[in-house]
Amino acid sequence: MGRLVLRRLGSTVPVLLLVTAGVFLLLHLTPGDPIDVMMAESVDVTVKENLRRELGLDRPLYVQYATWMGRLLKADLGRSIRNGEPVIENVSRRLRPSLELALCAMAISLMIAFPLGIVCAVRRNTPIDRAGATFAVVGICMPNFLLALLLIFLFGVTLRWLPISGYTDPLDEPWNGLRSLALPAVTLGLALAAVVTRTLRSSLLEALAEDYVRTARAKGLSEWRVIWSHALKNALIPVVTVLGLQLGTLIGGAVITEYVFALPGVGRLVVDAVFARDYPLVQGVVLLIAVGFIVSNLIVDVLYGWIDPRIRSR
Amino acid sequence: MTLDVKLGIKPGLAESWQQPDAKTVVFKLRRGVKFHDGTDFNAEAARFNFNRMKTEPKSVRKGEVASIDSVDVVDASTIKLNLKRPDAALLATLTDRAGMMVSPKVVQERGSELERNAKGAGTGPFEFVEWVKDDHILIKRNESYWNKQGGPYLDRIRYRPIPDDTVKLQSLQTGEIDVMDYVQPRDVAAVKADRNVVVVDVPSLADFAYQLNHMRPPFATRALRQAVALSLDLDQIVKGVWLNVGVPANGPIPPTSWAYDKSIPPIKRDLARARAKLAEGGQPNGFTFTMTTNNIPINVQEAEVIQAQLREAGITMKIKLADSATLIADGNNKNFEMISYQWSGRPDPDGNTYQFYKTTQGTSLNWSGISHPQIDALLDRTREVSSQAERRKLFSDLTKLLQEELPMVFIIHPIEPKAFSPKVQGYEPIPDGMMRFKDVWLQ
Repeated sequence: MGRLVLRRLGSTVPVLLLVTAGVFLLLHLTPGDPIDVMMAESVDVTVKENLRRELGLDRPLYVQYATWMGRLLKADLGRSIRNGEPVIENVSRRLRPSLELALCAMAISLMIAFPLGIVCAVRRNTPIDRAGATFAVVGICMPNFLLALLLIFLFGVTLRWLPISGYTDPLDEPWNGLRSLALPAVTLGLALAAVVTRTLRSSLLEALAEDYVRTARAKGLSEWRVIWSHALKNALIPVVTVLGLQLGTLIGGAVITEYVFALPGVGRLVVDAVFARDYPLVQGVVLLIAVGFIVSNLIVDVLYGWIDPRIRSR
Repeated sequence: MTLDVKLGIKPGLAESWQQPDAKTVVFKLRRGVKFHDGTDFNAEAARFNFNRMKTEPKSVRKGEVASIDSVDVVDASTIKLNLKRPDAALLATLTDRAGMMVSPKVVQERGSELERNAKGAGTGPFEFVEWVKDDHILIKRNESYWNKQGGPYLDRIRYRPIPDDTVKLQSLQTGEIDVMDYVQPRDVAAVKADRNVVVVDVPSLADFAYQLNHMRPPFATRALRQAVALSLDLDQIVKGVWLNVGVPANGPIPPTSWAYDKSIPPIKRDLARARAKLAEGGQPNGFTFTMTTNNIPINVQEAEVIQAQLREAGITMKIKLADSATLIADGNNKNFEMISYQWSGRPDPDGNTYQFYKTTQGTSLNWSGISHPQIDALLDRTREVSSQAERRKLFSDLTKLLQEELPMVFIIHPIEPKAFSPKVQGYEPIPDGMMRFKDVWLQ
């Protein structure tokens, strides 16, 4: 197991290098300048030039990239151009809401997808299965912002059960915090539940057609035992893959949901930073999101080994 | 100084002022005023603030106080500003951020930390409590505010960023928030019909226009600029796109300003004249150009309406959508033919005119690149004369000339509707866009 983790970590270095160089180049090739955006209504050229010099923005691109890389090796992500604070502080402030939201959304999706996926597979081609398929199609097709607005209208405006926008940290105020995360988590969770339901249904169907399932049934095991201990565990691999990929997306890519519910998360941070051309902030956040993806994939790999020992030994 | 609803300048920390000559302003400062940190506001503190705005390397106020040469402390409550040149707009400028004084002690102790933590820094009716990044800013009542008339009544005010307009409105309708800073034109009618919400139409100082690039074809030719202006139906744009949340513009000066000349009509649509101008500009069969505008719904709609209106005159307009950063870069580099420009406006008409139309080299807000001796002379003159009547006449002449020369085609002076919960009372709509809560209370 340790070797697997080490090997995986080693192979991430070129990935991260590519990501940072790509983002750096794309950002600088995009027209626009952080200082001009920051001082859009000011014409004072010398003040702008002074700022550019101070921030090193007047130097050639390769020098800027080398400087940034040099700092990175010392674990320094630099400072945001816009608010002058260290990038790492900007991100860590935003990471908590994003992580909490992602975990809540994932919990909701699992609570829906597991029972539904299993039932759909076991009761294949019955009305229940078709209802599950309908739910999945609606869940996948429904755009986030529409679902979000519908939920707000129903639970916030009409019933007034839940707050419409804003964020309270559940670690500070558990009840209000969970209430503030409820609608966004459902928004993200439903779409994910739809994907996981379909994945679980098809992989479970495949597993149920295997010889070992027939053997288990022939041994006289209850249908419940057959599904739970034999088929389900083997059907989990694609599900874990999907969940692992989605965790990264939920943390860095829930921009629209964060925007609608006014949640101060990582997704909005990176989009705002792009619009402000806040180069160090964008690079720092993208780097951390990439690391997040790599780590969640690593967790998936480790889980594979746990679910299916054959993968570990290979 | 502060502004009243008619944009008149009222005393604030400066109790009175006089101008012994065109290049000197003497301010009598209010006595007994304290900063929130308990230190005294006096002539020495005022001088410190002006010097800080002028000399701090990263000062964004530098341009606003550029006309001030030096500041003398006459006595503990009197300062004298010595100007480099006459500046008729200076008093109005000091009603804005340049006139806001901060405690020298706080500045010296906190340095650049001040921009994140303004505790104790100001003198106003509310004082800074905390800023939780990305979540809220909290201020509380200043119990020892110098002006004992009226408020401040509110205990605390919390400012929350809610990026989505629909959600912001719903937060107001359900009572999660009490005040909303801006209602989108598309929502105004519905919100006005809602009895749980009070809408106040706050006129603005803004002018929304399109800059035309004088430095390259096609708009280097005046007749072609005029052809575009004559093809536009501003009434239709204001009614159809802005849903009447604003008025058609006759120039850069908004109707809220004392300098607005309502005898000058906005340019009227006249397709026959537009075609004549096309012929005069050597393009009798029309021409093609590109408009750059911000990729937000109302701008896109406006661009599409303009595109349709120009097509009727035989002019083909392509639309390039960009984010703000690209828009600013294109403008500064003069990399455009026609580009959207939405200026928030300034209390003195100088702020809506000089920096846009005065001949300048290099980067400036004069994106069109206009350089016209008569306009330059008029603009300089508006800064030199101090009589308001005389300045009004100059700004009228300028507006007429701008309609001829067209560095911009002017579209609309928008209204900025703000919405309140019915329990919010006492709000005064001052057109400079800042929301002041001193005399506001909750019923």
